[in-house]
Amino acid sequence: MALTLTCPICGKRNGYEFRYGGEDKGPRPEEEGLSKRNWCEYVHMNTCKIGVVKEWWFHRDGCGSWFTTHRDTAKNIEVDTPEATT
Amino acid sequence: MAALSLPLTICKPFRIFDTFSFTSIVQTEGRYTERTCTRAFSDIGEHMYLDCTPLWGKKPRLKSSYDVVIIGGGLHALATAYYLAKEHGITDVAILEKRFIGFGGAGRNTAIVRANQRTQYNVPLYKEALDLWPVLTKELDYNLMFNNCGNLNLVHSEAAIKAARIAISTAQFHGVESHFLDAKQAKEMVPALNISEDITYPIHGAMYHPPGGVVRHDAVVWGMAKGCARYNVDIHQQTEATAIHSKNSKITGVTTNHGTINTSRLLVTAGGYSAGILYNMLGIKLPISVLTIQAMVTQPLKPLLNHVVSSGAYHCYANQTLKGEIATGAHMDPWPNYTTQNTAHYIKHQAEALSDWLPCLRGVKFMRIWGGLADMTPDMAPILDGNDPLEGLYMDCGWGYFGFKSFSAAGKYMAEYMATKECPKMLEPFNLRRYENHQLMGETPALVNYSPDN
Repeated sequence: MALTLTCPICGKRNGYEFRYGGEDKGPRPEEEGLSKRNWCEYVHMNTCKIGVVKEWWFHRDGCGSWFTTHRDTAKNIEVDTPEATT
Repeated sequence: MAALSLPLTICKPFRIFDTFSFTSIVQTEGRYTERTCTRAFSDIGEHMYLDCTPLWGKKPRLKSSYDVVIIGGGLHALATAYYLAKEHGITDVAILEKRFIGFGGAGRNTAIVRANQRTQYNVPLYKEALDLWPVLTKELDYNLMFNNCGNLNLVHSEAAIKAARIAISTAQFHGVESHFLDAKQAKEMVPALNISEDITYPIHGAMYHPPGGVVRHDAVVWGMAKGCARYNVDIHQQTEATAIHSKNSKITGVTTNHGTINTSRLLVTAGGYSAGILYNMLGIKLPISVLTIQAMVTQPLKPLLNHVVSSGAYHCYANQTLKGEIATGAHMDPWPNYTTQNTAHYIKHQAEALSDWLPCLRGVKFMRIWGGLADMTPDMAPILDGNDPLEGLYMDCGWGYFGFKSFSAAGKYMAEYMATKECPKMLEPFNLRRYENHQLMGETPALVNYSPDN
């Protein structure tokens, strides 16, 4: 099943043009006073959610943009920004 | 003796009969008896697994409390339960499987076993698992069809020769047979191999690991289930864990779709679903990315491959099954994906790779394709840990695509861990905290989502 992703510059393109950049974990933590655990959390730890996840992608074989998008990992399909849930 | 005598198509307009019957051979208390079941066609959708006695014994009732509860019904779960009972006398064990045993990686792997990994921590664990195949065959009284035909790992560059030499030295240090072959020697062993220089990745040699090979993976599941049943372990299929309970940082129970169970010891070993379960139910994050890994078999051919042959550069491995099919696989799309679906991209890749290094397969058709989940860690080594952050919580996950070949040794040591509450020496390096302490294992030079070629 083919994945397509929407690059903010190039539009909808074949998923194999992109490199996966990990789950979106918010901004890089400040280095001052940073604990090993918090750094590890940022670098390695994932939620491994089965469902809609906000992720980083890199348009490697295209314009070189880094961007975030939402993808449903249960279906391997890019989705619109999910609705708010309680 | 016969199986279904009517086609299983459930198209209403064409259906002539409302019910069908079949006879199966069931084993009860060591005796084989015939049993006839009659089912309505309308039941098939709801009761896909029919209402027959499982191969390994009676269908158990879910009790309200167990000494040990295991989430996941794969080989790591079965082996842990088996060794808990056999070695430690803990038989009050429940295995909770959402679907059916062998549904996940246990039945989707390509049956390859070996112990020629890269690091000093991993090799002894895999060696023990490899040595356990003949032992288990005897113990379980079940033919696991272990065929130690040997593995050849092709190398295609000078860097790969160096990496192979390091792996060979590690293997030899730990008493695992492993040698380096040059291209000519590899060709003598596998005449079908293309060692010419005009292919994409010319073959420079191979790492030859004679004690590795293949095992019949379904037989392993059935054999282990029978082994568990012998010790009265309760295997609950179609039983999904929906919540994990704790109090004062101690595990207290598990809620399932069939009710709540009290327990103080819980093992999460649900293959690719482990990380999601631990995050959803306990908020524990793991350094895991769950990818779909794909495999396929060709049409059956006359014998041409007597070994398991793999290639890192082509990202492809192949071995010939007893039926004559070439079982081949390895591709993973490098992003999290729980679909277990196949991709046209991969089928093309596999055809190109195989027709390069096994050119006699050009024109051969692929018959079946499938996918499974691989829970990849950054250092390609598993996470085996316990009592952190909750007392009584154990985890056995992050095996990537090494879960099948390791399950017996992992289960044996996890059982010891859960019985004694002390981490066995063998498992110490596999703790979860190694990531924050920057003690990653270096089992692979190519990490999942931060490798240069990704």
